Amino acid sequence: MELRVTERTETELSIEIGGEDHTFMNVLKGTLLEHEDIAAATYDVNPEQSGGQTEPILTIKTEPGVDPIDALEEGAGNIRDKTTAFRNAFEAAV
Amino acid sequence: MTEEYDVEFVETGDRKARFLVRGVTPAFANGLRRAMVADVPTMAIDEVRFIENSSVMFDEQLALRLGLVPLTTPPEGEFVDGDTVTLSIDVEGPGTAYSGDLVSSDSLVQPAEDNVPIIDLKDDQRLEAEADALIERGKDHAKHQGGVAVGYRHLQRVEVEGDLPEFEDERSQIVRGVIEDDGELVPTSEFDDDLSNRYPGKEVSVEDVPNAFVFHVETDGSFTVDELVTRAVESLEARATELEEAVQL
Repeated sequence: MELRVTERTETELSIEIGGEDHTFMNVLKGTLLEHEDIAAATYDVNPEQSGGQTEPILTIKTEPGVDPIDALEEGAGNIRDKTTAFRNAFEAAV
Repeated sequence: MTEEYDVEFVETGDRKARFLVRGVTPAFANGLRRAMVADVPTMAIDEVRFIENSSVMFDEQLALRLGLVPLTTPPEGEFVDGDTVTLSIDVEGPGTAYSGDLVSSDSLVQPAEDNVPIIDLKDDQRLEAEADALIERGKDHAKHQGGVAVGYRHLQRVEVEGDLPEFEDERSQIVRGVIEDDGELVPTSEFDDDLSNRYPGKEVSVEDVPNAFVFHVETDGSFTVDELVTRAVESLEARATELEEAVQL
């Protein structure tokens, strides 16, 4: 996973997440949107054949006073909470 | 934020199972499905060295067929990217070469299915080859896909609204998947997918239960369903961890 920040202000961040596709990006976006301090989150991917930017770009807007990098870090942590919770629930059911 | 998930099996099996998950978002459910299809690595033959091929097929065609034979995939950590396992096959005609004729150099990597025909050999035809199996992801080639039929549907709640009007003809109402009836999970195949069989003379309403998904998972035999699901979740988790660490820098 290679990260490259393409745009950054106090409450906005655009970051390229290399090597990922919809599988992870949509889970990430969905989780970020559940975060209280995140006002908007979206990602954009272009198809392989388009010849331009083909790595996904994640864009986050946060509420004033919240660093989008911190929010992203928390979002990634929240995915981990979800996967752990799912795995526990699944293993309990098997 | 604490997540509350609940998993309940509707149908259990080694290679095929159905289970209900409550509390997941559609994004997470789809991420899991996609991870099962494309991101869980399995073993498959990738390179074949032919010693003798006097069959009617070209080497390349046989190599493709050998590649598509599902192989059991060892537990995580046993193999890393780039490790190979050699399998050999030596069959003389007349007869059919089957996947079961493959002899593996590693007891952990065996054909998951013994009766996949590879080529029909006539008199004096012979197939002798050595093949290297690699561990890769479904994203790279469909032969590395561990989950072959993976999907989900909303759990559907059926409620009886009342009796049908006296002179109205009964009409069939087709529903597929799993329904919830007073907290009881019923696969629709039990009543031939037709609600009018289960509730004759009744008027019923059907609605999706929010955030409750019934997964249907089938594997190609590389590993069990439990293993596939667990590895898919772990692949999502590994990426989240990687992102978390990369952002901290």
